[in-house]
Amino acid sequence: MRKRAAIMLATLLGMLLAGCGGQEPPGGNDRQLTLAAPRDLVAGPADPYYTHQTLRVWEPLVTVDDKLRPVPALATGWDSADRGRRWTFTLRDGVRFSDGTPLTAESVVANIKRFLRIAPRQSAFFSLDAGMEAAYGKLGEVRAEGGKVTFVLDRPLADLPSRLAGFYSMIQSPKAFTPSGDFAGKPVGTGPYTLVNWVKGQRAELAVNPHYYGTAPAYRKIVVRVIPDANARVAALRAGEVDGLIDKGALLPGQVAAVAGGFRVVRSPSVLTHYLTFNASRKPFSDPRLREAADLAIDRQAIAGKLLAGTARAGAGFLSPVFGDLAEPGSTVRYDPGKARELVTTAGAPTAPVSILISSAETGQFPYTDIAEVLRAALEQAGLPAKVTVAEATKSVMEAGDYDLFLSAYSVPNGDADYLFRRFLRSDASWNVERKLGYRNPDFDDLIDQATEQTDPARRRDLYHRVQRLLATDRPMIPLAYQDNPIVTTSKVGGVAQSVAYVVDLGKLAPLR
Amino acid sequence: MTATVLRRAAELLLVLLGLSVLVFLLTSLAPGDPAEEILRRGGIQPTARSVAALRAELGLDQPLFTQYLRWLLALLRGDFGHSYTDRSPVAAEIFSRVPATLRLAGAAAVVAVALAVLASVRAAFRPGALDSRAIALLTVAIAGVPPYIVGILLISVVAVGLRALPTGGADSPGAVVLPALTLGLAGAATLLRLLRADLAQALRLPFVKLAAAKGLRPRRAIMVHALRVAAPNAITAASTVLAELLAGAVVVETLFSWPGVGQLAVSAIRQRDLPVVQAYVLVTAVTTVLVLALVELCLAAADPRVRRR
Repeated sequence: MRKRAAIMLATLLGMLLAGCGGQEPPGGNDRQLTLAAPRDLVAGPADPYYTHQTLRVWEPLVTVDDKLRPVPALATGWDSADRGRRWTFTLRDGVRFSDGTPLTAESVVANIKRFLRIAPRQSAFFSLDAGMEAAYGKLGEVRAEGGKVTFVLDRPLADLPSRLAGFYSMIQSPKAFTPSGDFAGKPVGTGPYTLVNWVKGQRAELAVNPHYYGTAPAYRKIVVRVIPDANARVAALRAGEVDGLIDKGALLPGQVAAVAGGFRVVRSPSVLTHYLTFNASRKPFSDPRLREAADLAIDRQAIAGKLLAGTARAGAGFLSPVFGDLAEPGSTVRYDPGKARELVTTAGAPTAPVSILISSAETGQFPYTDIAEVLRAALEQAGLPAKVTVAEATKSVMEAGDYDLFLSAYSVPNGDADYLFRRFLRSDASWNVERKLGYRNPDFDDLIDQATEQTDPARRRDLYHRVQRLLATDRPMIPLAYQDNPIVTTSKVGGVAQSVAYVVDLGKLAPLR
Repeated sequence: MTATVLRRAAELLLVLLGLSVLVFLLTSLAPGDPAEEILRRGGIQPTARSVAALRAELGLDQPLFTQYLRWLLALLRGDFGHSYTDRSPVAAEIFSRVPATLRLAGAAAVVAVALAVLASVRAAFRPGALDSRAIALLTVAIAGVPPYIVGILLISVVAVGLRALPTGGADSPGAVVLPALTLGLAGAATLLRLLRADLAQALRLPFVKLAAAKGLRPRRAIMVHALRVAAPNAITAASTVLAELLAGAVVVETLFSWPGVGQLAVSAIRQRDLPVVQAYVLVTAVTTVLVLALVELCLAAADPRVRRR
């Protein structure tokens, strides 16, 4: 009897395991690569871009380097005239789209006009809205002239190339779009890869673009799988099913040490910065002394090193070092709990606890609950009673003014510093006004307006340094930590580099022998 | 019987209508402005003008009751609206994923039923034996561990350690095994406890004892007579377990990147894609209500006492 039951159990297990042959090893041949990402890097035909820039199916006119400076992509150079009112972009020669048709100035103009026609349009990546306004908001006209593309702006814009960098100057064959601006079929770009197959939410398959103008990539085929669960992603890597994990949030801060032993972890700085925003429209943080006290009470080194597991660096200046020379070089990390206590004693501690607001949506990606608890303890040590509030919709809480501190992460897709200042902190900025930041400083407004129109790079840089020194004393928002974006591959993959905007150049990946 | 069916059908309609109101309110009254969140992808802050334009396009500026009526009428036409994320039709998206979820739930049900029957019969044969006790202990232990943890353990041991099966996806035929085991084990625990208790009770019934006294072999007494008496309760329980499987699929599908409706629901919730969340909740709720109603009708057909109620 026992034997029979055992046989039945064994048969059941055998039936379950039948048909599960071992999976094909991804590194089985040197010409194919399998990667995994936390989200789908293809958004489909209703999206303004169809695919993420990372997949290298399409290329922009301008991209950014590791200091967020605009550098040539499909445009080899640009000139401005008339004090930033007129910009001319020279196009790369010999470029063909993946359908074989040549890249012309007319096709570039058709793309820009399509963007303007379909905006505002939501996207899984960067909505054609705020970014569009930043890029083309002051656009008068765009036209093709003698093989070049000319933007004639209504008002001067000192940094049009920066604003166009990446998604906002994506170029595809005009034949890829219907007259309404939607995609007619698959994307038709100029990058080293083409999208050959896509199963929504599952996988994207890329093959080499036969018409690519540059050196052909080493891998003939790349499969990018979507694995949303962080633990399952690492398990797939360990099981040898994928050769690497890429994209924003590929590895959680706590996972980096766990995989560092057997795999190659690339830790590069990103545009993401964790900020603490003050509600200065009500007590107690309407008092600048208490904002300073909170600033001094926080041990940023501990947050970056311990809670974020060394995947971040302590925040000092408002702009992180990835902004290159735009970041104020004199910024230092402040931590002085003694001084913080003194300030609280002088200004008078509030009776009710201050509320530290975090979003439940962000607690999955970063240990915000832990960080908020550490902030609470730091504030209480300085004499400021505090409590932590986790909300699903932080917007409504903030618009009701029912918070004192808000912890959140922000990024800028291209090196556009103006966007960050103008959209968040100018006296009339929607973020500032609607979310009750209560920040009003005419000097700040004046400085960023001057910087927008300043075409001389050195003067513009100085203006932005002054803006940051102002923010360091006014403290409407304070930077807590500059976040890295760790990605990981097996030791068989070479050429892995990630831009500050999480873009991994798939075209440069090559097998290591 | 006809009267019972008609009365049940009328009740069911009311339940479904109430359900639609609940589903609509649950998602519509959720805090936060979907229009702004749609435009805020990638951490950038949209302009107030674009938010207003999108709210108008999505009909979010209409009164709540108008929104509900529009939504319900569209629903009756089979139009579940368009996804906020990629503007694709929600109905097509949901129904294209139903087969995968059914495949997983089916496989999990096979695992659950097979394990529960095998283990409870084994326990009935030898109630005091060591393996019976071990099975009981294991069932309680598994029932107490969240499926996510069971899944992670299975992935670590079977997929990463032994490399016997894939960690996830649905590309190879073996990919269904680990998610089905994860989901099935949880269901098996519920079923097993019920079936084992009923079986033990059935074995004490006079006619089973008589059969044994007449010299019937214990195997036949258990497998044919006692199991048949114990089964109805377990069948009722199986319908609730099926509902549990559909709900549990949310976690398991995400963990194993299984392309079913559960995974879709999780990503929709993360992105506050309300039309998809609404459709998911509605489809699962309607399925559950219909399955329960069907089971009730089957029991009524079989048992006159239920009919007279």
